[in-house]
Amino acid sequence: MVGPLYIIAIALGTAFSLGFFKKANRNIPYAIMFLAIAFMTFISGQWLYAFLANQQEAIQIFTAGFQPPFSISLQMGLHEAVFVSMINGIGLLSALYLYEQFRDKGVQMMMVFILLFMGLNVIIMTRDIFNLFVFLEISTIAIIGLILLEKKEQAMSSGFKYLIASGIISGILLIGIIAIYYYNGTLFINDIISSNPLLLKGGSVAVFLTLMAIVLELKPFPVNGWALDVYESAHPGVGAILSAATGTAMLFVLYKITPFIADPWFNMIATIGIITFIGSNLLGIQQENAQRLLGYSSVGQLGLIMLVIGLSPYLGDNYLFIGFTLLISHFLAKAGLFWIAGIIKQKKIKNWSVLRKTPLLMVLFGIFILTLLGFPPFPSFFGKWELVMELSNNHQLAWIIAILAGSFLEAVYLFRWFGYALKKEIKETTSKIQFSKILPPFLFGITSLVAGYYTNIFQGDAYTINYLPLALVLIITLIDFISAKIKNSLAILAMAYYGFLTLPGLYENDFIRFIFMAIFIGGGILTLIAGYAYQGKRKGFYPAALLMFAGLGGIIEAQTTLQFFFAWEIMTFGSYLLIIRGKHSIKHGFSYILFSLGGAYLLLMAFGLMNAQVGMQISALSDINTHLNLIFSLLAIGFMTKMASLGLHIWLPGAHAEAESDVSPMVSAILLKAGVFGLLITILAMGAEYAQHSTLLYILGWIGALTALVGNLAASFQEDAKRLLAYSSIGQLGYILFAYAMATHLGWVGGFVYVINHFAFKAVLFLTIGAVVLRVGTHKMYEMGGLIKRMPLAFIAVLIGIITLSGVPPLSGFAGKWFFYHALISKGWYFQGAVVLFAGIIAFLYCFRLIQSIFLGQLKDNHRKVKEISIWFIIPIYTLIIGIMIFSARPHWILQPISEYIAPYFGRELTWNGSTAIAEMGYWNGEWIMYIIGVMFVLILGWLLYTNAKAQKVKQFNIVYSGERPFTPETTHIAHNMYAGYSKALGFIVEPYITKLWNNMSDAIVQLGGLTKRIYNGNGQTYAFYIIAYIVITFFLVF
Amino acid sequence: MNDIIVKLLWTLLGLFIVLNWGLLMGATMRKIVARVAHRYGIPFYQPWLDLIKLYSNRSSISHGVMFYLGPVFRLGGGLGIFLFLPLIYGSEHFSNFSWAGDLILILYFQFFGMLGMALGASDGGHPNSVIGITRGLGQFTTVEVPLTLAVISIALQYNTLSISEIVAAQQGGFQNWTLVTNPLATAAAMLSLLGLFREAPFNLVKAPNEVPIGPPTEYHSAFLGILRTNGALLHVVEAALFMNLFFGGATHWVEFIVKTFLVYFWSVFVGVVSPRFRIEQSVTWFLKIPLAIGILAVILYI
Repeated sequence: MVGPLYIIAIALGTAFSLGFFKKANRNIPYAIMFLAIAFMTFISGQWLYAFLANQQEAIQIFTAGFQPPFSISLQMGLHEAVFVSMINGIGLLSALYLYEQFRDKGVQMMMVFILLFMGLNVIIMTRDIFNLFVFLEISTIAIIGLILLEKKEQAMSSGFKYLIASGIISGILLIGIIAIYYYNGTLFINDIISSNPLLLKGGSVAVFLTLMAIVLELKPFPVNGWALDVYESAHPGVGAILSAATGTAMLFVLYKITPFIADPWFNMIATIGIITFIGSNLLGIQQENAQRLLGYSSVGQLGLIMLVIGLSPYLGDNYLFIGFTLLISHFLAKAGLFWIAGIIKQKKIKNWSVLRKTPLLMVLFGIFILTLLGFPPFPSFFGKWELVMELSNNHQLAWIIAILAGSFLEAVYLFRWFGYALKKEIKETTSKIQFSKILPPFLFGITSLVAGYYTNIFQGDAYTINYLPLALVLIITLIDFISAKIKNSLAILAMAYYGFLTLPGLYENDFIRFIFMAIFIGGGILTLIAGYAYQGKRKGFYPAALLMFAGLGGIIEAQTTLQFFFAWEIMTFGSYLLIIRGKHSIKHGFSYILFSLGGAYLLLMAFGLMNAQVGMQISALSDINTHLNLIFSLLAIGFMTKMASLGLHIWLPGAHAEAESDVSPMVSAILLKAGVFGLLITILAMGAEYAQHSTLLYILGWIGALTALVGNLAASFQEDAKRLLAYSSIGQLGYILFAYAMATHLGWVGGFVYVINHFAFKAVLFLTIGAVVLRVGTHKMYEMGGLIKRMPLAFIAVLIGIITLSGVPPLSGFAGKWFFYHALISKGWYFQGAVVLFAGIIAFLYCFRLIQSIFLGQLKDNHRKVKEISIWFIIPIYTLIIGIMIFSARPHWILQPISEYIAPYFGRELTWNGSTAIAEMGYWNGEWIMYIIGVMFVLILGWLLYTNAKAQKVKQFNIVYSGERPFTPETTHIAHNMYAGYSKALGFIVEPYITKLWNNMSDAIVQLGGLTKRIYNGNGQTYAFYIIAYIVITFFLVF
Repeated sequence: MNDIIVKLLWTLLGLFIVLNWGLLMGATMRKIVARVAHRYGIPFYQPWLDLIKLYSNRSSISHGVMFYLGPVFRLGGGLGIFLFLPLIYGSEHFSNFSWAGDLILILYFQFFGMLGMALGASDGGHPNSVIGITRGLGQFTTVEVPLTLAVISIALQYNTLSISEIVAAQQGGFQNWTLVTNPLATAAAMLSLLGLFREAPFNLVKAPNEVPIGPPTEYHSAFLGILRTNGALLHVVEAALFMNLFFGGATHWVEFIVKTFLVYFWSVFVGVVSPRFRIEQSVTWFLKIPLAIGILAVILYI
């Protein structure tokens, strides 16, 4: 094997020899440099392979045969091999990426470049603290060289500031090292560790200064102004090196010296880390410049890993796993993002929409953003998971909250950016992209995916994730260029196959899960059928849809909380992509993802707390014995963000209303049930005894009732048909929350009736209205009218939908009402129950408005020739209607097994006698009601036909109208502000107080960021002062 | 099989009685209202004449399918309540199909006719219909609130939602009626009834003067005949529902007629001495005193 010293030798030799080629064709020195770095990469890779294959022990190298302290000693162990491989790898790719720059700037840049990587290699391998200082200086100077070579005014000034700051930090480091040597008499790190300088008088100050210098090299907030200026002004390729390579090396240094720092100082490192993580993410929120934003993100990520190092005493065996997964994610993503920034050359994040011109870049951008944020299936997901679990096991809740808060802030700006890229108008076109520039980010993107997979494998059997659905998503992403019709068929086949694999087993073993899975898969297939109505390629739709369904399926299949959370995040991201596809959805997609993430972090906290007591099995949730209220509250609120309960609902109306016609039913009828399922397993785990006296459930009951009221009332005042349906979903989910919060047998059966009904009728309504919108080109109900004449089938569908929704017998909606009445009386929730029933009657207002304004009244002139809705919508709609009819006539087919399932948990309150449901207070026979009403209806219709068969059909305006004949549909159609009087009476209830509250909160955060930003005044002297002040203040805080 | 035919025949007999009583009662009420206004009023047989005329009208127009089906839904609603309501306590024959569902079924079946009628009238395309319907629906939402609380209260009192059992519990004399045993629930429900029957002050929905005759503006001939039939039927069965819940039910037809008359008369009585509310006034009215009474009625039984 080639010895690690050759890395240094080759780099040094190349750097010197490059000088001979100053006048030659620049391709020659470039080739030499490239080969050198390739060889360095090869050496490090070879060592890494040997360590991974367990063929090698760590070795110590002493230069020139001397023993320390007289020699420079290097160490090559597994850790060093990993890190130098990372550094040389990125060096190789950077060399490729910067090819043009090298051609342009010439040999000097190549020399500086290779010296930089030599420095970083030694920094990692060295075990000599002074040697560390020397090579730190070399790489700093090399970095500054790279910056200054940019030759732009801004780069010059920032490079100079960097020089000042680094000079001061080096000075401090040197003083620290001198002091360590003075007290210890050695520079060899191993000896320093064994002699423990902290025990010596003055030794702790020496270590403190060394430590502070290294921490400052990691650019902690707020002492990092110069670094941010550099990130902003340097070439993005240099930014990638600075962030990924230098940052990684410095973290390794920090890791290397941790053995000889004092225990209490770990808290200090952790505190510096968290302040950096939260502070720079806060500042990122307002940032519009892409490279500076990446700078903030870099600083934040390094802060997070510093935090992990600081918290290492709590993390036990998982410390390195956590630290490394977070680091590798940062390494891959940040380099990738900087590289992409260099490819598209857009300063403003708003202009990153040009990414859409190159789908590959867009996908890579998405991968890197998700990697940074810790979304599955990337390594940081598992890292963050373990971090939270370990901190929970050690009861460090405050740290968890702080970390999640910082992550949330990070998500705010990253998703804002991502949203811009996905949705903003494309203003400019990109020039042709060179292969050498796109290869590095591509490789890193692939590495990120692969690393995620292996991270999970590494975790062991207990953590197994089912990657099959994700593989299907990957396949459909790869064939995204073919016609939508084919992809649609493939997607349906994939869903059907997934259903075939899972549904029979669930039917046998777990009826509740079966119901939800049937809704997810059946609903998915039906709504996908509507997709045939779309022409063209529908780029990006199928990966998103399948991602969401894969997540939904994963939630049902999950055995452990990790699997659940993994699927939950997949589902969240997939649905985000779907929602943001709508024309005006950039804002709504953003608020959706933020609420979802907020909810997900609460779930994560709850899973952590649970893990500390009973482990990761979901079924063990019922065994927890401390923090019950906290855990259940976190879970409930987390799931309620997805159910859009009052207070957490403001994302829903826009998200659902602006989505595409076949996406609205997916995210409304199907997706919302994920929250319901989560809530359901939570309440099941509580058990009857806890549930009976639970204040939490009592509060949830009231929230459910008020959600129903506000949702339904708001729906009644909408002018936009899809918004009306969206608010209606909020209301319906309010009923469902109320029903499950009752935690009684009757309440739960009622809840299931609502879940099934809401799925069916909301899919019918959203599909139908969506299809109508596709025909008439508007959402506004008052711009429609009289469409029954043109679209009778759509009308019938909406009619069935609203009858089911409103609970009028004989359709299945009534079953829900019946169970409600009985359940609320037996539970004793009379007043909240009365609110729910009141809300139920208000539903008539919007049901009527929906059907009257669109289908009845006056047909508009421009709609006289519209066609019936597309057959591809009619098929799923009428399939669902048949389902509703069967459920209405034979409710016991589904409700009886559900009833049997629930009875053991909450005590039996309901018996079935054939199709008659018998509760303590009353009874109901859905089947007979259907027959009686059916026969009666036919008889009356017959009577009318008999007496009035020859009724003459008249034209539109043939009505009694004060002796006049109206002729404009617009002035004869009553639709706009339909419930003016009602609004006068009760409209105050739906004033957007909650929206205002959230807006004020987010404004406050943004303004806080704005205030904090003032510390960066761009002045090098001020920054130098900050460094000194930071050390002094920290010193006084620590000692 | 025989059983079902016998059952149907008895039901038809019940329907015949109720329908004719409804027509007569309607005529009587109109007569009373006229006399209060110092008019002579219609002859008591006028409703029958109207029906015969309407059903035999030869000229008839339709505005569309839903317009045509509206009255069918409407009469279906009235008839359905009739079918699911036990009329005479203790009578096997006049308990109709009440075994198919309890009080909740009746409460929700009210919407069947309303919804169908609303859609049918809207299909007529007349703006006044829609105005009337939106007012009607709006008012109805709050009318139901005190009624719901009253129902919860009596459900707690009798521990059942089965109408037959509620009537059974009130047998044995005046002192056992809900009116006496639970006056608050009765009061809340009787105030709601004013909104249900839509006499003044809650008759803006029909607005007899400004909007010719409310939602049925466009209906005529057999359509209107069906609506009138339903009107007669519905008044009796709604009154019978209140009778069953609060006034001890009826053990024979005479008692049935007297009690339903009085229940209906209550709304007419309030109507003739009241002015008319604007819609926002009537909507909020039910959320004030009637709601408070309803809440008290429930609190007493917690």
